[in-house]
Amino acid sequence: MARYLTRNRLRRIYKWGGFPVSHDRKLKTDEYDSLHISLEDLPRTTVITNGQYILIEGVDDDHPYVAKVTKLIESDKKKKALVQWFARVGEVPPNKLKLLGREPHPQEIFYYEGPTCEDEIDVESILNTVQVHQSLLDDVHSDGDDSDEFLPSVKELRSSSDEEEEPQEEEEEEEEEFCARLDSDDEIVAKKSKRGAAAPRTPRSARKSQASMRTPRKTPVKKATPTTPRTPRHATPSIPSRSLPARQPGSALEEARARLHVSSVPESLPCREQEFQDIYNFVESKVMDGTGGCMYISGVPGTGKTATVHEVIRSLQRASDADDVPAFNFIEINGMKMTDPHQAYVQILQKLTGQKATPDHAAALLEKRFSHAGPKKESTVLLVDELDLLWTRKQNVMYNLFDWPTRRHGRLVVLTIANTMDLPERIMINRVASRLGLTRMSFQPYSFKQLQQIIMSRLNKVKAFEEDALQLVSRKVAALSGDARRCLDICRRATEICEHTSLDPGAPGLVGMSHVMQALDEMFSSAYVTAIRCASVQEQLFLRSVLMEFRRLGLEEATFQQVLVQHQALCRVEGLQPPSVSEALAACQRLGACRLLLLEPSRLGVLQRVRLNVSQDDVLYALKAE
Amino acid sequence: HLQVQTLLRERLCHQQLPQRPEGVDSQHKHLMELLKRTAVHGESNSVLIIGPRGTGKTQLLRCVLAELLAEEDVDKTLLQVHLNGLLQTDDRIALKEITRQLSLENVVGDQVFGSFAENLAFLLEALKKGDRSSSRPVLFILDEFDLFAHHKNQTLLYNLLDVSQSAQTPVAVVGLTCRLDVLELLEKRVKSRFSHRQIHLLPSLSFSQYLQAVQAQLHLPDTTFPDTTFCYDWNASLKVDKSVEAVLLRHFNSTKDFRSLHRLLMAILCRVSVNNPTIKPADLLDASRLLSADAMTNVLHGLSILELCLVIAMKHLNDIYDGEPFNLQMVYNEFKRFLQRKSNSLYNFELPVVMKAFEHLQQLEVVRPVDAAAAVAARAQREYQLVRLMLDHSQIMEALQKYPQCPTDVKQWAASAFG
Repeated sequence: MARYLTRNRLRRIYKWGGFPVSHDRKLKTDEYDSLHISLEDLPRTTVITNGQYILIEGVDDDHPYVAKVTKLIESDKKKKALVQWFARVGEVPPNKLKLLGREPHPQEIFYYEGPTCEDEIDVESILNTVQVHQSLLDDVHSDGDDSDEFLPSVKELRSSSDEEEEPQEEEEEEEEEFCARLDSDDEIVAKKSKRGAAAPRTPRSARKSQASMRTPRKTPVKKATPTTPRTPRHATPSIPSRSLPARQPGSALEEARARLHVSSVPESLPCREQEFQDIYNFVESKVMDGTGGCMYISGVPGTGKTATVHEVIRSLQRASDADDVPAFNFIEINGMKMTDPHQAYVQILQKLTGQKATPDHAAALLEKRFSHAGPKKESTVLLVDELDLLWTRKQNVMYNLFDWPTRRHGRLVVLTIANTMDLPERIMINRVASRLGLTRMSFQPYSFKQLQQIIMSRLNKVKAFEEDALQLVSRKVAALSGDARRCLDICRRATEICEHTSLDPGAPGLVGMSHVMQALDEMFSSAYVTAIRCASVQEQLFLRSVLMEFRRLGLEEATFQQVLVQHQALCRVEGLQPPSVSEALAACQRLGACRLLLLEPSRLGVLQRVRLNVSQDDVLYALKAE
Repeated sequence: HLQVQTLLRERLCHQQLPQRPEGVDSQHKHLMELLKRTAVHGESNSVLIIGPRGTGKTQLLRCVLAELLAEEDVDKTLLQVHLNGLLQTDDRIALKEITRQLSLENVVGDQVFGSFAENLAFLLEALKKGDRSSSRPVLFILDEFDLFAHHKNQTLLYNLLDVSQSAQTPVAVVGLTCRLDVLELLEKRVKSRFSHRQIHLLPSLSFSQYLQAVQAQLHLPDTTFPDTTFCYDWNASLKVDKSVEAVLLRHFNSTKDFRSLHRLLMAILCRVSVNNPTIKPADLLDASRLLSADAMTNVLHGLSILELCLVIAMKHLNDIYDGEPFNLQMVYNEFKRFLQRKSNSLYNFELPVVMKAFEHLQQLEVVRPVDAAAAVAARAQREYQLVRLMLDHSQIMEALQKYPQCPTDVKQWAASAFG
């Protein structure tokens, strides 16, 4: 690791270069052109001027802060500098780094703007100057003057709290490159050894406060370890492990298939950045403030609701590991994964404390926990998936879930997920809906472009699909449901078809239009027409007589007895021996079993009513085509 | 001959697996690949096998499984759970069965297995523990898949399919069903988690293929059968002549279901004895007549003349009132009108006797109360209870034709248009 400094071994002497260039009467400040820093006993001086990049004392020697000087002033006899801060990779919270969409260079720095950092610093915290280069992607390793390059980032990172920030001037938005790299560090280290005997210490307190202003941190809270020793009675069950490890994907298609499986966790969730950010901000602010709140998230299945929330929680957990966010508990319950709405209490309690209790007792314990202040209490983030399943007649489960966050000492953030947008209006009584509040978010079904992007990002440069084929899948799915799961499943099936149909098993080639078409056909085509064509002669005749009887009656319903008369007549016309009633009934039941017909219960015998489950046109089409 | 009996009976009743099911190569390959990937690569999958009854869905699956398990590493890896919608009628029973088949209950020791809720949490935890590469893949086979969709909230299906779509223990969920509209039964969120792979099995074979299949079913193996001359005679007797072909064509026309074919062949097989060592076309004809006979007509053969007369009276009432329900009193009046026209009062029965006959018909379900619940409530006035006739006219006429020594005037009455 590079070491950046020297500062406490040597006393630095700070002097203004020249005379004040201007004087501000109101603020009583003088502005200067340049600042000279010299080290005691050494002739060498460093000159700092406006626009220059500097290193500023950080929390420790290894991680100085980087900033750009915008003004040098003296006020109240104190030398100050106004600076524009830059954040280094290590200082950026991991969740923000994600937004970059690429791997940052370790030495890269980012333009930083946030109200939490004061931009006026004491000049005595300045350590040294540093060179920052702007660089383009392609000249990463081409810099001549012994410096490593920093990759430019396309996105500017903002602090979470300044959402309505105006676009920055172009120059500032651009990427900066920061070139305090290894060789120069070595140099610094070498200097340090020469200056070894110097008297220690610039006062550090000023710096410290500065540091805490920049990135607000709280003292790390020790994570409570839920250590209720488990009795062997509750020994966790598991599926036995296999003797041989599962085979890893071999070919490109297999690789693509593994990546396209819905279960594989993607590196990032494309097309949900805005939703991610909103949820992140919501949860982060609540956790930071130690307050509670509810959020309702809706969207049709397969639009990434649960995945996004999980992603938010992962980032927040990383942030809390890095102490950017206070530690919190995360609990997830799913309405479908319990047998009864009241089991929700049991599950929450068990995940929170490891205790087992009956639903009523669990509710009481949770009530107590959320309404009383406790020492060192962490915030709890509760994710309730498939909220609609928690509906009960009195709605007390929902009521409690939304009421606890409103308690003063609750420190509970509830994120609820359901399929329907108007669930609060539709099924919740007023006092429940009112507690849920109006923080809502709805996930729109993916458009075809987004679906395409999702597949591309999942494939991540594994070349397995033709461009057109991808477009076809995503357009088709977007038109039907916008369900990303469906899209991935179709692609996966298409790779299989491609593998099977290819002549040369070694090199199956790319998945093309024909493969995708076949996969789409398999998944979306209904088999009714084929089923009618494959039915036996008597079954077909029965269907035909159903149609005839419908036409005669002018209704869409007839009794078996009526159809039977037509059937027997039809058999005579066709020159077949008419079936007995039992046989005809059996044929009718078979058609009913595969739901070509809808039947009344079979105990009604010949009196049962018969309806078609397929459109009449389909039946005609299927029967005519022979 | 015993050997023939045992060999063929086993084939027909135990549904011995053929080497490879015929005419379903692509479906076989699809399923094979799919299950193989679960077993070998630990990839989770879900698939539905859809086809009418008796088309060999289970057979296909069993063939694939047998082939898969023949591979050495798969044999020791794959765990199987077989569920049937007719047996596991709700999720609680299904969960217990899954736990039992995965032999997870030993984890809990001999403690009585807890509540439904604990059971679910337990199983989900078990599945969640696993991961793709290290845990043994589990194959869930859900027979009569459509019935699972009727369980409350479809909890079991949601959870199984959710596991198949997340990075947990690798599972393959295979559903077997005969309902073509099964996907419409699934809730939105359950449907979204299903991979939408459907393997359709439809009986597409032609009549000549069908004949071959019949012959293959009855064929004795030349090499392994001990008595070679008998074997030769037997196989020679399987030639298809015109009459046999006609019978089989009729059967083929009525259904392509292999189970009903097996029933037919079984009936023939039962006629084989020492005196009658080979199959004759006459046997086939008899067997076919036996199976295609109308059930209700057979019931009518066992009725007394009085009961038969009542049935005829009801037929006339049906004609007069166009299928409206009637009661005993109306039937009795109709019957009396018939008697009045006749000089001889051979069938002059009192009302209580007629009522007894009527009750017997009701027990045989020849007639059926319109509203069964009301029938129980209004027991006192049985003669005014509304009922319907459960027979078609053709059945009545056919029964009369075959009825032994049926009086001519009764026959005439039945055939006459105006009662």
